[in-house]
Amino acid sequence: MTALLENSLDRAPLGVAVRIARIDWTAMSDDEGRRLREFGLMEGCEITPLHRGSIFSRDPLAVTIGRMKVIIRSNQAAAIEIETISA
Amino acid sequence: MTAAIPSIALVGNPNAGKSSLFNALTGARQKIANYPGVTVERKAGHASFADGRPISLIDLPGTYSLTPASLDEAVTRDVILGKQAGETRPDALIIVLDAANLDNHLCFALELLALGLPTVVALNMLDLATRDGLTLDTERLSKELGVPVVPTVAVRKRGLTELLAAIDGAIESHQPRAAVAAPQNDASLHQRARAIARAATVDETPVRRWTQRVDNVVLHPVAGLIILVALMFVMFQAVFSWATPFADALEGAIGVVQTWVVGTFPDNFLRGLVVEGLLAGVGAVVVFLPQILILFLFILLLEASGYMTRAAFLMDGLMGKVGLSGRGFIPLLSSFACAVPGIMATRSIPDEKDRLTTILIAPLMTCSARMPVYTLIIGAFIPAQNVGGTPIGLQGLVLFGLFISGIVGALLVAFVLRRSVTKGNATGFMMEMPRYQWPRLNDIAIALWQRAWIFLRRAGTIIAATTVVLWLLLTFPQAPAGQSQVEYSAGGRIASALEVVVKPIGFNHDIALALIPAMAAREVAVSAMATANAIDAEGDEDAMAEALGDRIAGRWSIATALAFLAWFVFAPQCISTIAITKRETNGWKWPMFMVGYLFLLAYAAAGITYWTAVAFGLG
Repeated sequence: MTALLENSLDRAPLGVAVRIARIDWTAMSDDEGRRLREFGLMEGCEITPLHRGSIFSRDPLAVTIGRMKVIIRSNQAAAIEIETISA
Repeated sequence: MTAAIPSIALVGNPNAGKSSLFNALTGARQKIANYPGVTVERKAGHASFADGRPISLIDLPGTYSLTPASLDEAVTRDVILGKQAGETRPDALIIVLDAANLDNHLCFALELLALGLPTVVALNMLDLATRDGLTLDTERLSKELGVPVVPTVAVRKRGLTELLAAIDGAIESHQPRAAVAAPQNDASLHQRARAIARAATVDETPVRRWTQRVDNVVLHPVAGLIILVALMFVMFQAVFSWATPFADALEGAIGVVQTWVVGTFPDNFLRGLVVEGLLAGVGAVVVFLPQILILFLFILLLEASGYMTRAAFLMDGLMGKVGLSGRGFIPLLSSFACAVPGIMATRSIPDEKDRLTTILIAPLMTCSARMPVYTLIIGAFIPAQNVGGTPIGLQGLVLFGLFISGIVGALLVAFVLRRSVTKGNATGFMMEMPRYQWPRLNDIAIALWQRAWIFLRRAGTIIAATTVVLWLLLTFPQAPAGQSQVEYSAGGRIASALEVVVKPIGFNHDIALALIPAMAAREVAVSAMATANAIDAEGDEDAMAEALGDRIAGRWSIATALAFLAWFVFAPQCISTIAITKRETNGWKWPMFMVGYLFLLAYAAAGITYWTAVAFGLG
C-alpha cells in the first residue's frame, strides 16, 4: 500500500470541479487502471465529484467527466490526487 | 461484391443506443441465441437494402476498447477480429456513437477504424445532444474520421435509410487498406479523440441539467434508498393486483376447453391424459403468464430508463459489505424474473470470485417460477384484505416478505461464502451512469414478447413432459374401489417414501408428491398438485369444480402452508438453473455445491417456520 495522498479525490467535497493532478497507478490493478483511462480519468482532466454512497457506506463515488457520469470505488478515488482549478 | 449475404456488426460503447438502433433496423426479425461455448447472448437479425438485397445484422455487447475487461467484452473483440468460433468475421462495421458523448466514444471508434474494415459511423441520439445544447458538424466529423457519418435517431427511425445506403456504398467501394495504426497509448488516443470532438462541435451552450436535479434526489443517501424500496414495493403490489383480471380470464378459458373436451370425447386413456395431465398441469402454470410479464415489464422499464445503474450505485455500499459489488445488483434483480438470464448477466462482473458468489446466490432471488407456488398458497391461506385501514394489501405484503427473505438470505450466504469458499480480494465497482431516457415502447414490446415466448415454450416442453409423466405415475396402477387413487398409484407410493423425510418439517403427502416433479421447475409443484387434484376428483362434479386453492385450504394447516412457502424461498428446484450454473462455472463442482447448500437451507427454513407456527397454535 502506498501512503495516503494529501489531496485525494476520496476526500474531495462534492459538487466542486477539480483537476486530476496525479494518479497512483500502482495502487490499483492493471484492469482497473485501464478502465479508469477508458472513462477518460487521466492526469490533467477536470472532474466533479457528485454523489457519495448511501447510509450503508461511503462507497461508491459518482463523478462527472465531460458529459459522462461514472461510478468508482473510494479505494480508487484514494489513489487519485486532485488540485483546485484556479479561476 | 460477393453473392453471400453481407454481415454487418453494430459496435460501440455501452449506452450508445446500439440496441435501439438494432431494433429499429431489424424490427421483430431478430433471434437471440448464445455464442457456442460461452453464454454471452448473440443478437442477430435481418434487414435489407433499399433495393431488397438482404443483409444480416449482429448486435455486439457494448465495450470501451478492444482490450476486454469481462467475458461479454471479449466476445465483441473476438467477433470483430474474426476469432470467435462459429462466427464469420463481419464484412462491415456500423460504429454507433452517442452524439452527446463524442470525446469518450471516439476513442473506441478510432481503435475500430484502425482495423481497416468497411465502416460507417452512426451518430446516434442526435436529438438528445441537441436538447443538451450541442450543435455538431457531421461533415466535418466524417472528414476527420475518413468514413461516412450518418446522423440517426434510432427511436424515431430517423436516418435508417441513409445509414443502410452508406453501408452499402462502403462495402461496394471498399479498397482493402492497410490497417492504420491507432495511437499507441491511452493518453494520445484520448487527445486525438478530444481534438476530433472539438473540431466537430460547432456550438456548445450550457444546459439546464435536469438529469442532475433528478440524481440529487434519486442518489440521495437516504431519500434515494427510500425511493428504491418504494419502487420495489409498488412493483410487487402491481404483480398481484394488475394481473388478476388477466389470470382469471386465462383460467376461465382453460376451464372452458376442459369442459368441452370432457363433453365431446368418450372417457378413455387419451381424454384423461389431456384433461387431467396436460390441461390441468400446463394450464395451472400458464395462468401465471400475466404476472411474469408484469414483473419483466418493470425490470425492463427500470433498465431502459437508466434507473437500474442508480439502483446499483445505491446498493453497492451494502453489497460491498458482504464482499460483492453494485455490479452484481443488476444480475440479481434480473434473477427476480428468472435466475437463468440473471446468471448469464453475471458475465459483466470482471472479478472471478465476485462473479461466482453472485451466481451461487442468484437462485435465492424470488424468480417468476416461484410466483405460481406463492400465489396459490397465499391466495388459499392469506385473506385478501388490507392491512389496518391502509391501501396496502395483506397478500401483497406477504409476497413482499418472501422476496425480502430471499434477499436477506442471499446477503448472508454471500457474506459467509466470501469468507470461506470464494475468498478473494475486495472487488472494484466501475461503471458508467447512463442518462435518463424515456423507455421506448417498441424496444420494451420486443423484449416482453421474447420473454413470453420463452416462458410458453418452457410450459410446452419441460413442464408438459413432466406433467404427463406424473399423470402416468399417478394413474397406474389402478386403485381398487374404496382406495384413493393418488395414494395407491406408483407416484403416490414414491411420495409416501419421501413423506417420511419431510414429515418433521410439516409437509404432507400432497407436498411430497409435488416436490419430486418440481425438481424440473418450481412451478411444476403447482401443476403436479393440479393433476393429482384432478385425478382425485374424477367423477366427482363438485370436487372437480372446486379450485385447487380452496381444496388445499381445506386440507393443510396454516403452519404447513407457511413451511411450504419458506421451503421455496431456498429450494434449488430448477433444472435450467443447475444446467446454466454448470455451463457458467465449467463443471459440476459449483452447481452441486449450490444444490447442496440450498436444500439444507430450505429444509432448515421450512422446519423453523413450521415449528414456530405450531408453537403459536397454527398447527
